[in-house]
Amino acid sequence: MGREVSESCVESLLTEMVSSYCNQFYANKPELAARRIEAIGYDVGHRLSERYTMERPRFSDHLEAIKFICKDFWSELFKKQIDNLKTNHRGTFVLQDNRFRWLSRMSIDPSPENTGLSQDSSVALAENKATQATNMYLYFPCGIIRGALSNLGIPCAVSADISNLPACSFVVRIKA
Amino acid sequence: MQFFGGSEISPSLPASTAAGNNAHMIYVFNRNGVCLLYREWNRPVRTLNAQQDHKLMFGLLFSLKSLTTKMDPTSLEKRNLGVPQLPGQGCSFHSFHTNTYKLSFMETPSGIKIILVTHPRTGDLRDPLKYIYNLYVEYVVKNPLYTPGTPIRFELFNTALDQYVRSLS
Repeated sequence: MGREVSESCVESLLTEMVSSYCNQFYANKPELAARRIEAIGYDVGHRLSERYTMERPRFSDHLEAIKFICKDFWSELFKKQIDNLKTNHRGTFVLQDNRFRWLSRMSIDPSPENTGLSQDSSVALAENKATQATNMYLYFPCGIIRGALSNLGIPCAVSADISNLPACSFVVRIKA
Repeated sequence: MQFFGGSEISPSLPASTAAGNNAHMIYVFNRNGVCLLYREWNRPVRTLNAQQDHKLMFGLLFSLKSLTTKMDPTSLEKRNLGVPQLPGQGCSFHSFHTNTYKLSFMETPSGIKIILVTHPRTGDLRDPLKYIYNLYVEYVVKNPLYTPGTPIRFELFNTALDQYVRSLS
């Protein structure tokens, strides 16, 4: 669709955005930072879904819209489709990406430093901090999905789950 | 004369290939001399503690670069020995080898220095060092959790590095 931007630039911009919101603008208020980042994602998703559904007819039901997100929308954003889609047929969908592009380079310290704590609790502490940091980077894609779906007329809530990296699951709950 | 000639006197090939890894150790420094990474796979003898070892290595490279630039017969510049040079200026020295090991070196324009110590019969390692620099860019520089200038402690980078070094001939 015309001009292109280098992928490293976009990823560096996203990294810096999260870092600025978490460490500078809302330094000790992670919930506010998260909400701001998610709001930015909402706007972006809203506009992107407008673009990518230009020549398509209206979606017949919620499942069609979610399938659009999984296939066409995800391919435009990440050059691949969602690998696994699960639903409970009652308004909850789980979109699983086995190798989420924006998380593919995140990695943590394998051996925590000894700070006088016992081995178990220091490992847990290091993992907890890494998980918190990683979660911050997921608010943006959650916002994108929420924005895209709400532009298609489906209000919902989206959260992310990273129990096994590098696979990442997005849980979409449609508001009845 | 016999000392350098006889195969029974010179040391045999180290057991690194038997242990499954082809290199002894690797150092990565940034332009300020901070040791970002030190990883060893096969180092039977250690004479200094870690801090001194890193300082010695960095100092050695700094002096070698100065020396090679000063002794360059093709260069027209008149530079005093010991003046710090920008990365890329002067001669870029690649490697030296002794009877027990070979040390290969690469410096990038951003001042990142990669040093790989391997067994003496290794070939030219300039391309492998470039590949290792690519690994560094992919898994460290582009990692959102990394703060530049701090030591590298990342699982993904360590794994990728180990795998690559193991595959070197």
